[in-house]
Amino acid sequence: MSNGRTSTPSFADVNRDVLRTLEPPGNLYFAWMCFVALLLAGFFFAWAGQVWWGMGMAGKRVPQMWAMYITTFVFWIGIGHAGTLISAILYLFRARWRTSIYRGAEAMTIFAVMTAGLFPLIHAGRMWFAYFLLPYANQRYLWPNFRSPLVWDVFAISTYLSISTVFFIVGLVPDIAALRDASTGWRRRIFSMLALGWEGSDTQWRHYRRAYGLLASLATPLVLSVHSVVSWDFAMALVPGWHSTLFAPFFVDGAIFSGFAMVLILILPMRHFFHLHAYVTEKHLDMMGKLILVTGLVLTYFYICEVFTSLYSGEHIEKASLFWKVTATYAWALWTMYFCNCVAPLVLFWKRARTSPVVLYVVSILVLIGMWFERFNIIVPSLGHDFYPYTWGIYYPSPTDSMIVIGSFAFFFLLFLGFIKLMPSLSIVEVKETIPPPVRDRAHGH
Amino acid sequence: MATETVLGVFAHVDTTVRALEELRARGYHDLTVYTPLPVHEIEEVLERDRPVSRVRLFTLIGGLTGIASAFLLTIWSSLVWGLVTGGKYLQPAGGSIIGASLPPFFIIAFEMMVLFGGLATVIGMVVLGRLPRLSQSRAYDPRFSNDRFGVAVHCAPERAATVHELLRTSGAEEVKSR
Amino acid sequence: MNRRDFFKIVTVSGAAAATGGCQQASESILPLVVPNEHLVPGVASWFSTVCRECPAGCGVIARNREGRVVKLEGNPDHPVSAGALCLRGQAALQGLYHPDRITGPQVREGSAGFKAATWDAASKTVADKLAALKNGGKSRAIAVVTQLENGNLGGLLDRWVQALGARPRVTLEPFAYESIRAANRATFNRDAIPYYAFEDAEVVLSFGADFIETWLSNVSYARTFKRMHSFRDGRAGTFIHVEPRQSLTAANADEWVRNAPGTEGLLALAILRAMVDEGMADRRFGEAAASVDLKRAADETGVSVETIKRIAKAFGHAKPGLAVGGGVSVSGTNATQTQIAINLLNAAAGNVGKTVRFGADSAYGKVTPYAEVANLAGAMAGGEIEALILGPGVNPVFTLPSGLKLADAIRKVPLVVSFANVPDQTSELAHVVLPDTHWLESWGDYSPREGVVGFLQPTMSPVRDSRPMGDTLLRIGRAALGVEEGKGPIPWPTFEQYLKGAWAPLVKGDLEGALRRGGVFGDVAPAAVTAKVAAADSTPPKLAGDAGGLTLLAYPSLRFYDGRSAVSSWLQEAPDSMTQAVWDAWVEISTDTAKKLGVVQGDMLAVKSPQGTLELPAYISPTLHPSAVAIPMGHRYTPYQRPRYVAADTKSVNPMDLLPAVADATSGGLAFMSVKVTLTKLGTRRPLAVLQATHDQDHREIAQHVDLGAAREQALRGRPAEEAHPTLYPDQKYPGPRWGMTIDVDACVGCQACVVSCQAENNVPVVGKASAAYGRQLHWMRLERWAEGKPEHPANIFLPMLCQHCEVAPCEPVCPVYAAYRTEEGLNGQVYNRCVGTRYCGNNCPYHVRRFNWFQYEFPAPLEVQLNPDVTVRQLGVMEKCTMCVQRIIAGKDRARDEKRAVRDGDIQTACQQTCPTQAITFGNLKDEGSGATKLTHSPRAYHVLEEIGTRPSITYLRKVVRGGGHA
Repeated sequence: MSNGRTSTPSFADVNRDVLRTLEPPGNLYFAWMCFVALLLAGFFFAWAGQVWWGMGMAGKRVPQMWAMYITTFVFWIGIGHAGTLISAILYLFRARWRTSIYRGAEAMTIFAVMTAGLFPLIHAGRMWFAYFLLPYANQRYLWPNFRSPLVWDVFAISTYLSISTVFFIVGLVPDIAALRDASTGWRRRIFSMLALGWEGSDTQWRHYRRAYGLLASLATPLVLSVHSVVSWDFAMALVPGWHSTLFAPFFVDGAIFSGFAMVLILILPMRHFFHLHAYVTEKHLDMMGKLILVTGLVLTYFYICEVFTSLYSGEHIEKASLFWKVTATYAWALWTMYFCNCVAPLVLFWKRARTSPVVLYVVSILVLIGMWFERFNIIVPSLGHDFYPYTWGIYYPSPTDSMIVIGSFAFFFLLFLGFIKLMPSLSIVEVKETIPPPVRDRAHGH
Repeated sequence: MATETVLGVFAHVDTTVRALEELRARGYHDLTVYTPLPVHEIEEVLERDRPVSRVRLFTLIGGLTGIASAFLLTIWSSLVWGLVTGGKYLQPAGGSIIGASLPPFFIIAFEMMVLFGGLATVIGMVVLGRLPRLSQSRAYDPRFSNDRFGVAVHCAPERAATVHELLRTSGAEEVKSR
Repeated sequence: MNRRDFFKIVTVSGAAAATGGCQQASESILPLVVPNEHLVPGVASWFSTVCRECPAGCGVIARNREGRVVKLEGNPDHPVSAGALCLRGQAALQGLYHPDRITGPQVREGSAGFKAATWDAASKTVADKLAALKNGGKSRAIAVVTQLENGNLGGLLDRWVQALGARPRVTLEPFAYESIRAANRATFNRDAIPYYAFEDAEVVLSFGADFIETWLSNVSYARTFKRMHSFRDGRAGTFIHVEPRQSLTAANADEWVRNAPGTEGLLALAILRAMVDEGMADRRFGEAAASVDLKRAADETGVSVETIKRIAKAFGHAKPGLAVGGGVSVSGTNATQTQIAINLLNAAAGNVGKTVRFGADSAYGKVTPYAEVANLAGAMAGGEIEALILGPGVNPVFTLPSGLKLADAIRKVPLVVSFANVPDQTSELAHVVLPDTHWLESWGDYSPREGVVGFLQPTMSPVRDSRPMGDTLLRIGRAALGVEEGKGPIPWPTFEQYLKGAWAPLVKGDLEGALRRGGVFGDVAPAAVTAKVAAADSTPPKLAGDAGGLTLLAYPSLRFYDGRSAVSSWLQEAPDSMTQAVWDAWVEISTDTAKKLGVVQGDMLAVKSPQGTLELPAYISPTLHPSAVAIPMGHRYTPYQRPRYVAADTKSVNPMDLLPAVADATSGGLAFMSVKVTLTKLGTRRPLAVLQATHDQDHREIAQHVDLGAAREQALRGRPAEEAHPTLYPDQKYPGPRWGMTIDVDACVGCQACVVSCQAENNVPVVGKASAAYGRQLHWMRLERWAEGKPEHPANIFLPMLCQHCEVAPCEPVCPVYAAYRTEEGLNGQVYNRCVGTRYCGNNCPYHVRRFNWFQYEFPAPLEVQLNPDVTVRQLGVMEKCTMCVQRIIAGKDRARDEKRAVRDGDIQTACQQTCPTQAITFGNLKDEGSGATKLTHSPRAYHVLEEIGTRPSITYLRKVVRGGGHA
């Protein structure tokens, strides 16, 4: 009945509509689950094979000792950023329209970072020794090398994961309380535990709001730092096409760009299947569209800078690398990227496009493809044509590479599909904040 | 001495606020307000005679601890296991500043600051908000997580009647003693 | 190999290090460096012997650890190799520990194949047959074929042959240079191959002689060539090479002249003519070249008159010069005439006696000419031979042209006895196999040239149940003659005792010393000869096959010689320096041919001659003469290499299958250039595993060169003061030594010896064709060929590339776990146990010299016995790279400490440096101003690869010095 309803809902409607999303799912949902689970099985199969027989199972070689794993790693880290941006930065800016999407976005962040977190493990030649990267106390004084960007990664990403998770859970507590009160039986018992006995008393709200604000202001610089650190994996290296001060802002912007695309890809179906048009209105779509457009334009600017600097550098090897990328074996990937990231978003200049779910969906998918290829183009072709002509070479993905990369998407979607059925994917509390509170007589109302 | 809790359930913000104003005027300060969401109007009334939440103190201490421990870890470890990499010393050498490569450590310090700060904040919230609590307070009502506002007044049994009256006049849908 | 075998080796030869194998008496084995009575665990003993991988006969010292040989090095005292060893010598270990090595005597059971037998049974079979023949008066039906054995083993065999009245022994060497001998008979009236003194020549003019690859004695000639050619205090000799194909030797020439195949003789005469015309040679030589007209010669050879005159001038003015001829293009039916022309050149320029020295004649002079081998084959086909005895190292079915139909002939022989210790195409046809001990397990001696006798002694006990051929034949011979030990014409119980007896007069009582030194080395007085000037005719060689076809150049391979070294997977994976291809064989075709056929590299071609057809992938070479195709000899895979390292393709890749059995009439030498072939595109592909992505440096100045004139100037002026590297950080301090290395690119001839030596020393596994093709080879050291100038006529620079041990190493700071770090002695350390395998260092190394263990690589038994106990075998998932032989550094420092002294310059030699025939590599302490390495780093020719990145490598390269001609 709430389908297409435009009249502002009441507090009670909010509770009801949100709780409705948690009703037992239909066959379509289970069909999706099975499909995703199947892909995931392939993922673990491939990974097991790689651990058993060696990294050679993946298509890596000299000079591309990094390839699709790191590509996908950076891709997923990037996806995460939109979530934190929406939940933290927009919160600080008091952008009210964020409230109805931030919960989904935050969940996306956590799952994306979890997915990304798999890749350093998958990628390591001896993953069973990956714990060497952690600064654990040991009597032999063996410590990680704090000058290695990879160790910065370890710190940045683990921090990022913990803080977003905490942020997410804190946001959930009042909503779970609402679930608790609305549910019965074993569900009620579980929710009571998760709700920590939240009652919404004034003291609780007082500390809660302060804490939430502080977390938001901590998460904001964090999100900017994380992708900068990831970008330094490349910028700190010598490889022509990597060694550039441009990378930090370049990566952060790209991350937000791709993140918003992913948010749309997740929110639009939810909006459709859960009939949330009352909460995720055209205004929201419009806003998201604008953000994608802006970040896309900024990205285009960075691309131009990148090309310009390497041309202007007068550095022969830099230029050679650039010309090879643009013209040779991997040119198709580069031009795909330019189309998806620079041209496709331009359609969002039109409001009609920004408010049409279909257009937004298509653009978002293109953006995701484009952003994956951006990382691919940074890693594979740059390595393939670097300083030493003797070892120039072409990388071919192997079945193992491909299954693992595809499987990572399965991993992400499995988590997300689970989430939307177990937890309120809209924030009950914050949605209520956007609704004018119930007032009896205007005369006394403030 | 035994206190009685009188609970008023309100459907509207303005009535709730009115009730709170009245109670303040009559000198009732020992009250708990239950709301499904934080409401400015209500907070305004309550904040007047309450200090700012001390959560931020937790955050500050956490953050500083993070920074300190990060620098301790990085610098100390590079002193006890300082290998030359990339032709640069980690330990003090040739009159150079400590570590000869301090800058990277700022990155670690920043991340640790955020991590510790964030966790401390949550701990602060939990501790100060008296969470987690196993049993619900007597006054709590499930509707408060949905669309109702509750004002619980803790007072001496003999004054309960007046409080009842006060809440009802200020527009409570329902008033009961717990 | 299982545990028991392992202990067998360790224990038996634990005695063996002292006793030297099961049959031998104990006092006679003497380590070269440490005379050890008993085996000291962890301490290596060195045994000197002689390399028998080819007839060059280089001196070898074998490093024996716990009773097993783990490394071979050149014997510094030996006059031929002077401490160096080629890649084939280095890889001999893989023959010793070959997985397919024959485990014991075998007897053929009808068609069922071989069946293991006891030595007595097997010997009896042979002895009975021989006895029957002898008593039946058919002793002439016994034939003995061995490789070149000019020492006492040969002597013993000849006595044996006499005793049984068998046919005279045939010594079979595929490359026998009969034409040189015949030409010397004609010109100098001396049937010998002289000693060519490259070191004394100012100008070397080579007609196809691939002396850096296989010609006569590649190690010693590479060394002496370097002495004559490389830049030293402002002087450097000139090397002009004439060949239709740019071989490795041609690539080292200052001027490579590409002539039409088979026209070398004509060109030589034309040059002689020009010399006479210019008055640089005695008139009487004019008549020899009277018939030659320069213009016509220029048209036929495809070499311009100017070039001819220029060469003539250079050669004529040289004091002295040296002209040599050889190789496939000088092996046609006109080979002798060509060699005569070359002799005349030497005579005319007055080089005879100076750079062409008779007296110290090469052992090759004693090889049976091919024509007689052909006769033997005929006799077999005719059923005259009833017992054929094949020594080790001979594989005629593979190394002789299929035109000879040898396989069929051998099948006609009722009893074929093979002494091969690794199965090959010929031993497959044998009825009885009595595996001979590997030369590293054998007694013997070999004289590479007059006056030099190298001694072989067992360096360890036999890996498999094999016995010395000498012993076996003595036993069989006596049994056939029906006499017992100590009686009759061959009374000696063992070959060793015969040998000791024969050595007695030679060593004059000091057998110990001789064995330590590795032999008895003396000089023989040069023999004076006078040149007989006779008109040499310059008719082109007769070529069989389709007249419209392309001339087939089947050239001997530096890596496999005639194929006897192809059993080594190290050599299969050591790239051919010119093509940089590994594992597979190929047919080299010129760019025009490729255009005509419309093929690209890796397309399969059918190469058709009247004898048969080969299917080979194409390698397209812009340098090859358009009228020729070239196929390397010797490519064959042994069972254990298939399919482990290379796809199991059993089709022949042997160019000998295309050759008719044509001999040069005068000399009786086999004509390797004797057929024209036609090519057809098959449409299928078999991409080659080529390790080098491109030979074009793309202006990155990786391999640098300087013109001779400029080099002279710099040498006089000295090195310009280099500007200090600006840095915010304190320079690294080296409390002890700082190890470094210099590599003289001018001296490097690109022979790949260092690559294989490194592989042997550092337990570098073999990865196989597919992995190598996909950039996953594990060589810690690689040899790059960089080409400049016109593609069809490039100037090549060979650059050994290994870890540069940078002072500001990009690989180190990116490692998250300190697996890569800088040691106090200036090495880039790599801690295998700490490595997690992020491969960040591999990306960040601008030289890409870091290697990753993509899989867990295996060492098929018993090859794992060869592993160097001082070097870790790396696990899958870890990075590895050149350690500058840190184990040798440590050993050197220990030795110095034991002797209570500081490490002296030269105490420590890296594996690559030690084996380098041209001593292009120098290792030393860069803090010690006196060390050779340091001195060289101050040379004006010094530079660092990719210097502008600022990595400050510890490895300094010295620019190649080029003459204008090289870039014409």
